Amino acid sequence: MDKKDLKVIAFLAYKNIAKSKSTFLVIIAVMAMSFLSITFFAAIIDGLGYEFEEGMIEGLTGHLMIEPTKDNLYLENTDLLVKNIRRIPGVVGVSKRLESSVIVTYKNTELGVPVFFITPPDELKVSSFHNNIIQGSYLSEKDGKELIIGADIIESYAKEDDTQKRLNVNVGDTVKLSFSNGYTEDYKIKGIFKTGSKFSDDKILINYDEYNKIFDKGDVASKILIKLPERGNEDYYKQKIIDLGVSDQINPWQTKMGAVKQFVGSLQITNQITGFIGLLTAFATIYIIIFINVTNKRKQIGILKAIGIKKQIILGSYVLQSFIYGVVGVIIGNIVMQILLMLLTLYPLSMPIGDVVPMLTTTRLITTSVVLIFASVIAGFFPSKKAADDNILDAIFGG
Amino acid sequence: MAKKIIINAKKLERVYFNGTIKTYALKDISLNIKEGEFVAIMGPSGSGKSTLLHQLGLLDIPTKGEILIDNEDVVNLSDDKRTKFRLKKLGYVFQSYNLIPELTALENVYITPMAQGITTEEYKEKAEDILKKVGLGDRINHYPSELSGGQQQRVSIARALVNKPKILFADEPTANLDSDSSRETVKLFRQLNKEIGQTIVMVTHELEEGKKADRIIWVKDGILDNNKKLK
Repeated sequence: MDKKDLKVIAFLAYKNIAKSKSTFLVIIAVMAMSFLSITFFAAIIDGLGYEFEEGMIEGLTGHLMIEPTKDNLYLENTDLLVKNIRRIPGVVGVSKRLESSVIVTYKNTELGVPVFFITPPDELKVSSFHNNIIQGSYLSEKDGKELIIGADIIESYAKEDDTQKRLNVNVGDTVKLSFSNGYTEDYKIKGIFKTGSKFSDDKILINYDEYNKIFDKGDVASKILIKLPERGNEDYYKQKIIDLGVSDQINPWQTKMGAVKQFVGSLQITNQITGFIGLLTAFATIYIIIFINVTNKRKQIGILKAIGIKKQIILGSYVLQSFIYGVVGVIIGNIVMQILLMLLTLYPLSMPIGDVVPMLTTTRLITTSVVLIFASVIAGFFPSKKAADDNILDAIFGG
Repeated sequence: MAKKIIINAKKLERVYFNGTIKTYALKDISLNIKEGEFVAIMGPSGSGKSTLLHQLGLLDIPTKGEILIDNEDVVNLSDDKRTKFRLKKLGYVFQSYNLIPELTALENVYITPMAQGITTEEYKEKAEDILKKVGLGDRINHYPSELSGGQQQRVSIARALVNKPKILFADEPTANLDSDSSRETVKLFRQLNKEIGQTIVMVTHELEEGKKADRIIWVKDGILDNNKKLK
């Protein structure tokens, strides 16, 4: 194949497309729809998975989490450690927490609830509780006998068919907390938060200073949460923290996903299966459409051969046409998808776990685009190869 | 000086197989056609005249026999070489014009010189010239669907002639045309034959058209009908 052959290939492909605009439009519409049907559902599932992970990161783990080694119950000398980690360039926020549990009593209801003792100003940079206060207000450093409470343990926020035991409380109400050491104290509800993550919204948050008043343990913490600029650099920052001489466990958020990991993993497998079926369906649809289109041109292929146009040129022109169908269809599908993503970023899908923004990963975008273009080329290749290999007289006169 | 033989066919045979049944479309056909000759192939329907033209024009391969065109054995050429041979040395005019509907008259004509690798200016000029010669200078940018049957056939003739072929094959070129256009087409063939010495092999079932040729080759039941000699 030389330059002159390529010129004829391009010329024939261009003329076929330009003169058969309606066919061209139908094929690229099918391509674009196929692209959308594969990527849109996948993007929602990916968005859902991302939202679950973010819920864990924003509420429970941060991007990195320092925890005591197996033999220790607490991290010690935490104030200095928090200060030192905060000095690492790029670290967004550091906050220590003490995790415990309490029995909450309100009127005749008693409920066991996990509790986080937090440093409110530090938490602003690490978690999203402050952004999700739906009633009342967030804790301040000076708040002593006050707490904020997750919406999932409040009766008025329960769904109609949910019969789980909850507290019938509201902002301003006082609840009695009974701690594991037998200490009992009344706390006023200052605010109610609802992050949308079931892993966060079943907690009570109290000022860290209260912990020492109750347990008198000194400068200790169950965890130190570290917020980084973005996902993906955990190893780099982990090393920086190790360089500070930290011998406790430094765990990235991925290691703490547990059930979320299984759930997101299941979603991703579902996604892969539906994506694969979607690709097969798209492949079959595109193949049939292009097959019919090329089969209808059998006579012309015969004529071109009869007048001395090389088989490779004829084949090349149909493969090029199919490639153009694929590329244009994928580009249009991409444009429509980007518009949809933009709209859904502005107006996210409201789901029970919270607002979900569909996410189209570069890998999925490239894979889908390449597979659809490949399907299109293959769909063009086989019928045109068959027609080009046909006996000239059979192609022209039928047979 | 005696004219050179451009087509030399020896003992041509074309058999179609349907299971174990053999049908002879052509049998033991030997013929010569000289350079610059205008030959008509005639015979009743189903006699094998188009099949003979297809063998001579390299559109089909005979089951047996030998064909030399311009002293080259064309039966045993590879598929690619046959295509190249058709492009460079042969021209075709079909009964139903067989133009490419997506191409204008000009493009239909210049597609083969384009495939030969000459410059854009050259192939456009060649195509325009030949279209003017067949009387379609003012219709070059029209698509086949915008042309009458006679005009389409003239585009088809222009396409066949644009590469200055050694032989022009025409398979019942007037079968789909009205009588005026038919007369014009055969007149054009005669004119081309006389003016530029174009060798033409034309299949027709119209005796009046056959009489315009230098010679008629009669075919009957797949064999040459040597008893029927009009010229």
